[in-house]
Amino acid sequence: MVDRTEPKPTHPAASRRAFLKAGLMGGAAVAASAGVARAAGDPLITEIQDWNRYLGDGVDVSPYGTPSEFEANVVRRNVPWLTADPVSSINFTPLHELDGIITPNGLCFERHHGGAAVIDPADHRLMINGLVDTPLVFTMEDLKRFPRENRLYFLECAANGGMEWKGSQLNGCQFTHGMIHCVVYTGVPLRYLLEEAGVKTNGKWLLAEGADASAMTRSIPMEKALDDCLVAFKMNGEALRTEQGYPLRLCVPGWEGNMWVKWLRRLEVGDEPWAQREETSKYTDLLADGKARRHTFVMDVKSVITSPSPQAPVTHGKGPLVISGLAWSGNGTIKRVDVTIDGGRTWQTARIDGPSLPKALHRFYLDINWDGSEMLLQSRAIDDQGLVQPTKNALRAARGGNSIYHNNGIQTWHVNNDGVVENVEVS
Amino acid sequence: MLKFPKSAAFAALAFAVFASPALADGDVAAGEKVFKKCSACHTVGEGARHRVGPELNELFGREAGSAEGYKYSKAMIEAGDGGLVWDAESLTEFLTKPKDMIKGTKMAFAGLKKQEELANILAYLKTFSAAQAAEAGSVVEEQPVETAAAETVEPAAEPETMVVEASKGAFGLGRVAMPAEIVAWDIDIRPDGTGLPEGKGTVAEGDPIYAENCAVCHGDFGEGAGRWPVLAGGQGTLLKDRPVKTIGSYWPYLSTVFDYVRRAMPFGDARSLSDDDVYALTAYLLYLNDIVDDETFELSKQNFTSVRLPNEGNFIPDDRLSEPHYAKGLEPCMSECKPGPVKITARAQIIDVTPDVEGDDANAGGGID
Repeated sequence: MVDRTEPKPTHPAASRRAFLKAGLMGGAAVAASAGVARAAGDPLITEIQDWNRYLGDGVDVSPYGTPSEFEANVVRRNVPWLTADPVSSINFTPLHELDGIITPNGLCFERHHGGAAVIDPADHRLMINGLVDTPLVFTMEDLKRFPRENRLYFLECAANGGMEWKGSQLNGCQFTHGMIHCVVYTGVPLRYLLEEAGVKTNGKWLLAEGADASAMTRSIPMEKALDDCLVAFKMNGEALRTEQGYPLRLCVPGWEGNMWVKWLRRLEVGDEPWAQREETSKYTDLLADGKARRHTFVMDVKSVITSPSPQAPVTHGKGPLVISGLAWSGNGTIKRVDVTIDGGRTWQTARIDGPSLPKALHRFYLDINWDGSEMLLQSRAIDDQGLVQPTKNALRAARGGNSIYHNNGIQTWHVNNDGVVENVEVS
Repeated sequence: MLKFPKSAAFAALAFAVFASPALADGDVAAGEKVFKKCSACHTVGEGARHRVGPELNELFGREAGSAEGYKYSKAMIEAGDGGLVWDAESLTEFLTKPKDMIKGTKMAFAGLKKQEELANILAYLKTFSAAQAAEAGSVVEEQPVETAAAETVEPAAEPETMVVEASKGAFGLGRVAMPAEIVAWDIDIRPDGTGLPEGKGTVAEGDPIYAENCAVCHGDFGEGAGRWPVLAGGQGTLLKDRPVKTIGSYWPYLSTVFDYVRRAMPFGDARSLSDDDVYALTAYLLYLNDIVDDETFELSKQNFTSVRLPNEGNFIPDDRLSEPHYAKGLEPCMSECKPGPVKITARAQIIDVTPDVEGDDANAGGGID
């Protein structure tokens, strides 16, 4: 549903042209600068350009295509001080540069605990053991003979936003919200594999284990395993990237990213959870009273404005402005996203554009006519269970400041008169 | 809903297992893989700098203990003063068992046991030493010849035959896992002791194992070096502004310590410790955390579950949905939601910890641990 607060520009082509010029010139200073605004016209139009005269590359130059050289700044970045070592660390998806709901494979954030393992698919095995009728071993070839499905899911690290619990810290949605990506997975429903082995009636939990140097392990309730989990070998149509678990990873839709075990080599059925490191000492949420929640699997309803944001300032001055963002919920679909430009005094419902699929990213837009005055931008998502994204202060009141994980609080961006954007918190 | 017929027969499949072909001596690419064991502490190549250990560019021909800006052990500096220069021979001796050659070296690495790995890592490191570039180049050139030779030999190798049972499931895909395979991979341990192997080890036995394998990152007393995890102390800090979450202060179960050390430690050389070593280390970690106070305390499969960690009772189930902001039927406010103009209460630019494009080592508080 379109809910514009201002009418559409009457001459879209003309205003886009003006935007481009304004962008090049850095906003209001257009007329004062040399070159572009000469009466003789824009030399990019009046003069013949190299790319218009000389031949470009042939089809044999780039057998596997890469982004344009002008997009070289669209990359994953890490924050060196966050972790002891880049081998067991994280980098962040450049959300501020992306649009739509699909994350390109090379930009999906990476988190691994013992480096990215390199495994020849011919050497990879998946074992199912424990409380099953028949323990089994599959090769990749075996797995590709099961009926497969394609599903779009977001994957969010439970620590996404973890650095912001005590206040605004990192200046960019890549860093505050970039531990998330959303791709189409192709794989075999986990249920088929478990049924092939035959789960015994007391098999209530599943341990998923990776083949990497951390031998990552997580306990998953059998109910979830049999519901919508997927054993995936493709992302966005091509093989998983090395850093995403090539040749095989687990998908645990809507649940914290750490459970989506990469380089998946073993599934053990048991009657109780295993209390592994990543579900006791890590990925448990310390509360203000000293208690700690465990098995906080679901990723909560959440949203963020990706542009404007600190790394994507407003460069075109006042006038039409597209406010764009992402919303998601581990419970299902997003029902509604509201946006405020005054720090939460008044809200408008944004327009969700593109597919609205459960446990996948949703893209929203609010098209406004910016008057050039300061803004305090926020977005607030509501999912199909009726859960409303809380404020950061509401989360702190309930949990304290030491939870690290599951920070789904409302993000505020301050936009000043020049279009510069900063990560702030408000009263 | 499965439409495939159940396969009734036990099909016997023949598996061909080839002996792996001998690797060429001093393989640079293989050496790069071996270097992963070193990369927890060392860097090499463009942009390399000192970390836990010194950077390793121009290592060949370097006097021991001489890399500028790195704080060496006294023993290493003395070795350099005594004329030790790093070359293939001295590095081979050192990397075989560092503490045997230089008593008192800070390098906690136990050593490379395989000659092949030693040759490969030296070939790899040599490529970052300019003086050796020509020689390294010749090594690389020789490789294709040797690889080709290996390939012609391979088909002649006698394949072993492994008879396996097919799956009896609806699809008949996969095969039955063999007991030896399950034993090799199923090493997980639960809080009730399920999965514990036979074995034992004392606090006193764990001390030198810890010093050799763990202290370099986790500190002599489990206090943590740099941002590596703190393992001991922190009791009574969970209510504080900066809680220190250690085995003694936070972890609910001892089984997690044994399981994790056995599966993933030491960092970069996983699965290299014996079960007895892991029992001894676990006992030593209990000692560092003041949970046992007797150096002769022996931890074993038999008494393992009798040890309980102090914070076990403080873990609760997920009750996020009981929080007030998730109360059912809350209709979010759309207008006049706040009484007056909204004020900014915190700003990221003041803290200034966002990395810039060139990379930034600013060290901020908090983190994702």
